[in-house]
Amino acid sequence: MLSVALSLAKREFVRFVRQPQRVIGAVAQPLMFWLFLGAGMGTSFRPAGLAQTSYLEYFYPGVMVMMLLFASVFACITIIEDRDAGFLQGVLVAPVSRMGIVLGKVFGATAIALVQVLLFTAAAPFLGLHLTLFGLVLLLLGFVLTSIGFAGLGFLLAWGMKSTSGFHAIMMVFLMPLWMLSGALFPISGAPGWMNVVMLVNPVFHALEIIRAPFYGDGVALLGQSGYLTSLAVVIAWAGLSLLGSMKRVGKREQGV
Amino acid sequence: MIQISSLTHTYPASRKQAPRKALDDLTLSVGEGEFAILSGPNGSGKSTLFRILCGLALPSSGAVTIGGFDLFKQPAEVRRILGVVFQNPAVDKHLSVAENLRLHADLYGIKGDEFARRRDEALGWTDLADRLDQKVETLSGGLARQVELAKVLMTRPKVLLLDEPTTGLDPASRRNFLDALLRLQRQWKMTVLMTSHVFSEAEDVDRVAIMREGKLLAYDSPQALKAMIGTEMVVVQPIGDAEELAVSLRAELGLAVRRHGDELRLEETENGAGLPMLEGILDRWRGQIKSISIKQPDLEDVFVHVTGKAVPEHATHKAEAR
Repeated sequence: MLSVALSLAKREFVRFVRQPQRVIGAVAQPLMFWLFLGAGMGTSFRPAGLAQTSYLEYFYPGVMVMMLLFASVFACITIIEDRDAGFLQGVLVAPVSRMGIVLGKVFGATAIALVQVLLFTAAAPFLGLHLTLFGLVLLLLGFVLTSIGFAGLGFLLAWGMKSTSGFHAIMMVFLMPLWMLSGALFPISGAPGWMNVVMLVNPVFHALEIIRAPFYGDGVALLGQSGYLTSLAVVIAWAGLSLLGSMKRVGKREQGV
Repeated sequence: MIQISSLTHTYPASRKQAPRKALDDLTLSVGEGEFAILSGPNGSGKSTLFRILCGLALPSSGAVTIGGFDLFKQPAEVRRILGVVFQNPAVDKHLSVAENLRLHADLYGIKGDEFARRRDEALGWTDLADRLDQKVETLSGGLARQVELAKVLMTRPKVLLLDEPTTGLDPASRRNFLDALLRLQRQWKMTVLMTSHVFSEAEDVDRVAIMREGKLLAYDSPQALKAMIGTEMVVVQPIGDAEELAVSLRAELGLAVRRHGDELRLEETENGAGLPMLEGILDRWRGQIKSISIKQPDLEDVFVHVTGKAVPEHATHKAEAR
């Protein structure tokens, strides 16, 4: 199963790097988001208790989550393209486990997302943020889990779709709001009560928590914090469930009545 | 090798459409090492049957076993012995020929020396040897089809399913593809089921099935099918109203006259009886006849006879392909 997934994932990656526009877009777009919003909001952003934090710094992990979201989800659009082009049917009739097919796409998406977000991580020292070695490991774990969560969710949504434009619509009304309500743009403390609830049950909020935490805490100490562990558990559950759901979806054959 | 019993498939109703029965109690079997062609007019259920056979859909009722495995209960076992060539390309056109073969081998767990050996063997009959590093999108239609077949053959399928594999090919490429397929099928004793409505493709195969409206109308060797409608037939093209001439031919000659478009066909003519009949018809109705001919029935005539429908338009490459 794993070797099949890796072969399929390799194909995703090769296709990604052979399309320079995709590479440029994937790196430039979040960077612009970060710099423009970060610079523009700089003096307006004065949330209680975060007086020492510039918006550029506050928004930094949020942009990371956005990169993971876009990279994973755009990789899932290729499911629709693969189906249209016919490639997918060849994979479906091959003697491979259905989970292998899901993981192939998800690992491919994760690999692409990781390259982008790791490049972006190199900006941390310029913000005065420092990572311990173990902190970096935890950060990586956060990246991988979040990416799997997004890609799994994207897979589930894209599988039954016939057009990429339909998927874009879903992305705008469902996936983007998940990110907007994750605390990426503004802290949960300033949000109204009802939004607070929505944010707390939003898995992307927890993803952001485990990505932000390694920049501000000692890596080993984090593992003793219940808040961090809760978020980690939520993200693991999110990733696992979306993978299982996707596998079920792939295994389902259209049935006559 | 392939056993299809009482297969029925009804597509569920949608907002704009009532439920549609695509397969109706279809029973058919293909023996080991046989090459069978499945034909039928558009909408006859071929594609539905194909989707079910390659495990992409589940029927409403009925059973299919492939290589002794129950397709619906043991899909994984069936996939292992199955090769499928789809009508649409199933290769990644952004990857090179070699990369596509490699990926396909990975999916089937073929590795190392075994992969190199099988790849060379599967490429042996193709014209791809010096194009391995070319992306598939840069290849001609005929060569792209060769990649498709080579990749499937590389896994040495016991059972090969092909869905109109020569669609979109020019007559020469079509012939090449089929010749290679037939040769390899005999050599490796593969069981092959291929949908097609190009009847020149069917002359050399073991069995031809003709479907219409989800039912099997005929299933036999090409020779036996042709024998169904006699060894000769007289084809008349009337000048005026075809129906009028048909009526009078029927009344005076006491023969079965089939009208097919503007043509009248007198089938089941005994060997050697065609010429006297032609002369008789000419003597009596010369003024109403544009042309008249005797021909030996081919599979296309059988198709017309059995389904009552003309061979679909895009199948007329037939004449050129010969």
